[in-house]
Amino acid sequence: MIQPQTYLNVADNSGARKLMCIRIIGASNRRYAHIGDVIVAVIKEAIPNTPLERSEVIRAVIVRTCKELKRNNGTIIRYDDNAAVVIDQEGNPKGTRVFGAIPRELRQLNFTKIVSLAPEVL
Amino acid sequence: MFFLSRTSTSSPFTIRFWPFRNRAKLMLAALRSRCSSLVTSPPSPSLLNQSWKLGFPDSSRVFASSPSLSSAAGAYDPSEVLTIPEVEKILADVKADNVIVIPTQNQSCWADVTIIATGRSDWHLKNIAQALIYRAKQKQIGAKHVRLPSVQGYNSKWIVIDYGKFVVHALDEKARVYFNLESLWTTEAKASDNSEKELQTAFVKVRPINNSKKKPAAKVSS
Repeated sequence: MIQPQTYLNVADNSGARKLMCIRIIGASNRRYAHIGDVIVAVIKEAIPNTPLERSEVIRAVIVRTCKELKRNNGTIIRYDDNAAVVIDQEGNPKGTRVFGAIPRELRQLNFTKIVSLAPEVL
Repeated sequence: MFFLSRTSTSSPFTIRFWPFRNRAKLMLAALRSRCSSLVTSPPSPSLLNQSWKLGFPDSSRVFASSPSLSSAAGAYDPSEVLTIPEVEKILADVKADNVIVIPTQNQSCWADVTIIATGRSDWHLKNIAQALIYRAKQKQIGAKHVRLPSVQGYNSKWIVIDYGKFVVHALDEKARVYFNLESLWTTEAKASDNSEKELQTAFVKVRPINNSKKKPAAKVSS
């Protein structure tokens, strides 16, 4: 359940460390974003000497949420943190590697690129 | 853009959702297909049992791909979706550079084979994607449910054509160097193998040694 003002970790090596959600893309007046949703976010913290800087506005895909994700077969997946991967307007990831476990729902939501960069797919 | 949306909606993943609406039909079809496969041909169960790594139930896949029972035995014929040699041939025909086929069965639970190819320009990348879709379409002429791969990033430097069992990445030269996919997949294989071996050896050998070592160490310290 990501809403504007939520802080997220960054699960890739793009150079950002912390994001703050400022808008959820997909519908007007949508309250919460879940895994696989695209958000507009501000970089609140960044690693020095990287292409991304603090207070830059970017797009990101949510890949992990503390709110549990239910599957049709009854499985429930819930992570320890809220995390996102920075993407550009075309959907290409800004970083070259994704860290941590990623749910396979992202593939069905047409984020195969992120899935293929991830070390582990749940 | 119409073309794009069509390919994305008819991707293999969307098939999964609709059989749940008419579950009774599904069950019937599953039963029938099982019976027919048992009676008619011995190799068909093996075909049916090749689970597709995406967690589809076998019965729904059979039903979704071909409701006609006559072809139920060959419902999930690999020739329906393209095979890997065919894809390689298509890539060679459209002159994709530097084609690499990486078997990723052991590493990833979501794709058996990853194919990486380089395109010279944006148009070339689009052509590669279109050629792969076109061939898949041509192979399924006359089929009731045409299954097309899902294409992602059609207007960008990195196009992914996802057939479910295997994934084709078509990248620009710069993007290929930047993302360095082949190193990711090949090194990961070694790393995972090593870690598994290390784990096994650690569990088998270290335990008794540790127990025996603890006592003398304690004695020495005391």
